[in-house]
Amino acid sequence: MTDYDTIWGIGSEMLLVFFDPLKRVYWVYLLSAAAIAFLWLKFLKNFSFFGAIRKIFAKASWWNSSARADYCVMAVNSVVMSVFSPRLLGQTAVAYLVFEWLHQLFAGRPQAADMVPEWLIVVAFTLCLFVLDDLARYIVHRMLHRIPVLWAFHKVHHSATALNPLTVFRMHPVEGILFAVRGALVQGITIAVFVFFFGSQVQLIMVFGAGVFNWMFNALLANLRHSHIQIGFWKPVERIFISPAQHQIHHSISEHHRDKNFGVALAIWDWMFNTHCHSNADEELTFGLSVESNEQHHRLTSIYLQPFAEVFHSMSLPFKRVRGNERTELPVDLTGVDRGFFNK
Amino acid sequence: MKFKTLLTLVFAGSLLPALAQSDSEVYMNYPVTVKGYTGDKTDSTSYSGQIARHVLHNSLKKLAGKGNGEPNEELKAKMMAYYSGTGEGREILDPTSKEGFAVKQTMVDEISKGKELKGKTYKGAVNSWPGYMTGPEVIEFMIDKASSANKGYDPITGYDYGQLISKFMMGAVFYNQAVDNYLDERLSAEKNPNDKPYKEGRHYSGKEHVWDEGFGYFGAPAHAVSLEANQAYSIAKRKPDVMAVADLNNDGVIDLKSEMTFAHAYYAADADKGGKTSYLADITGAFIDGRKLIASADSNALTDAQRAELMAIADTIKMKWEQVIAEATFKYAGSVYKDLQKLITIVEADGDVSEVFRAYAKHWGELKGFSMALQTSGQDLGETAVRMNRLIGFSPVHLDGNQVTGIDGNGNYQTASGSSMAEYMVHMVKLQNLLGDEFNLTKRKNDATSELEDLIESVGASTGAETD
Repeated sequence: MTDYDTIWGIGSEMLLVFFDPLKRVYWVYLLSAAAIAFLWLKFLKNFSFFGAIRKIFAKASWWNSSARADYCVMAVNSVVMSVFSPRLLGQTAVAYLVFEWLHQLFAGRPQAADMVPEWLIVVAFTLCLFVLDDLARYIVHRMLHRIPVLWAFHKVHHSATALNPLTVFRMHPVEGILFAVRGALVQGITIAVFVFFFGSQVQLIMVFGAGVFNWMFNALLANLRHSHIQIGFWKPVERIFISPAQHQIHHSISEHHRDKNFGVALAIWDWMFNTHCHSNADEELTFGLSVESNEQHHRLTSIYLQPFAEVFHSMSLPFKRVRGNERTELPVDLTGVDRGFFNK
Repeated sequence: MKFKTLLTLVFAGSLLPALAQSDSEVYMNYPVTVKGYTGDKTDSTSYSGQIARHVLHNSLKKLAGKGNGEPNEELKAKMMAYYSGTGEGREILDPTSKEGFAVKQTMVDEISKGKELKGKTYKGAVNSWPGYMTGPEVIEFMIDKASSANKGYDPITGYDYGQLISKFMMGAVFYNQAVDNYLDERLSAEKNPNDKPYKEGRHYSGKEHVWDEGFGYFGAPAHAVSLEANQAYSIAKRKPDVMAVADLNNDGVIDLKSEMTFAHAYYAADADKGGKTSYLADITGAFIDGRKLIASADSNALTDAQRAELMAIADTIKMKWEQVIAEATFKYAGSVYKDLQKLITIVEADGDVSEVFRAYAKHWGELKGFSMALQTSGQDLGETAVRMNRLIGFSPVHLDGNQVTGIDGNGNYQTASGSSMAEYMVHMVKLQNLLGDEFNLTKRKNDATSELEDLIESVGASTGAETD
């Protein structure tokens, strides 16, 4: 393969996410997010037509050191994940394992398909897949914040000081692997259980190439979460669905916003497990890890290597005496940003 | 030249290539190229010996279902006559004429004289069957058992001998002879050279006849390429509505030598129905390509380049033929899976299982026979064969979890408690995965996990490149 082919391959791989209805940044979803942001600003925040446009495409959100780091990470990760993804535990392997195991558990395969109307099976499967996937995301996300070793990697995402829809790709590959395995487990198990009992009657309700609930989430909310457009909902609704402004709170550096709103689409998990926080339209939010802006956070070497350095450092601590200012010898000062469970 | 004449010539000229093309897609009418041949034959195509063996196989399968449950030496002798006999007077028991579907031949000798199956049966060890036997020994053992079974079925073991004999024999004779002999060592420069007649005085060269014999064993009608899959399939079923398309020379009868679908060609057509695969057309087309290449050598020895090209075509045929057998194995693994599901449900409800168990035994016989056939190519399938044999076992799993584990010195089956029926269902799932992966299958009929795959595709890969 020539260098040109390699570059083209990486480039096309990266660009494909904008044309895949299963990805959050599918162009239709981006367009709908822009339209919602425009309508919000124009009619509820009284922006002028061009004022709303300027606000949506503000340079402060789309072109600064933080945003540029997002784009670079997105490119690098598309290569890294293309190497790791085929080697990870996939939905297929999980689904087959569970499907086979269920035969042993039930000493055969009950013929349950005739007992339930087909429409109910389809609705139940579509809903279960969405709800369980969302719950699993909540759990993993919470673990990423609460377990120091995982926080070291998730911090890469939270080091963004400006949010735009592509910030969703600002992640360390270790976290990418964790999320992939999570998805494989939840989806593989759900699919296997439903197929085992209901066979060919199980189907996903799809809209334009994606599951209906994912499609709705992606079209209406997903891309506004990582943005500077602070769209909040009526409080009773914010207890069920996470508003974009609630997720922006999750990125806020304020002490009272710390470890809040881990949910993705549904707010019920945060509400049930006491991590829920309503949005506040009057509150201006600052994103990132600490008040002081640290350009090191946006360097690729820091983004990719710093988490390993922190993990190594934390592991070696019990075995050697901490000398003087050893912790500050690391490329980034950790003292202000550690929000790990053990630091509380 | 008058305009009308010119127009006629132009029209005829434009039609000629079309006719030639259409003619070339039928496996017949290849010129006699043998130097010095003085006879009156004009077509060098010849594979009647293989068709006679197809007819012997079909008839033997018919006989396997004739037993009455008691030892029957007369039936056994008759079956052996079709397996290892060469005598005259053997009637064609299948395929025979029926209303709306007339078959030209009624006696095996009308096709080819003195043919038998035993001498052409795979001589290697058959590890997929208990008793450490060679191919011919396995078939003779099964013939013995079938002759004393009730309509070929033994409810104690769950063996359907008609299915077992037929499906194994298609591999052990036709597939083995074609892929391990005619399309293999017989294509070497030394054996059956193309610059000599196959035998003294014959009207076909060494390589011409070797290739014809390979094609004959496949069992396709000469015009299979122009037939739709369901037509080729229905010809084997002798359905009157395909009589017209089957009757290539329009003489009102089906000539078994060139117009019938037999053996693996039938299963290729079965897989091709629905259009996902095109095994029948691909394999027949490859045979035609190879035959044209040999004919173009005009009875000169094949050059290294020609032989290399021929070997490449042979490799395509071997690969696709193997896939046809693997697709059939896959299909019946799915049937067995469904039967097991029904059986367990009936047992739980305290119902009568006899009818479903009979279907289970039939499907298992087909599954086992095809899986045994897969192992007769002369190529060691290695771990795939071991895993396949272990997953299927030596017999269907019974309601009480018993399974045949061996054969004692008196030829009686030994059984032992093995997997439960539920575990055997899992075996079928694993078997389908193994076959699908190892043989790169496309049709995958009766896929027990197709819904899993479809849903995984709908949901999309969880690559995890997004975070919150």
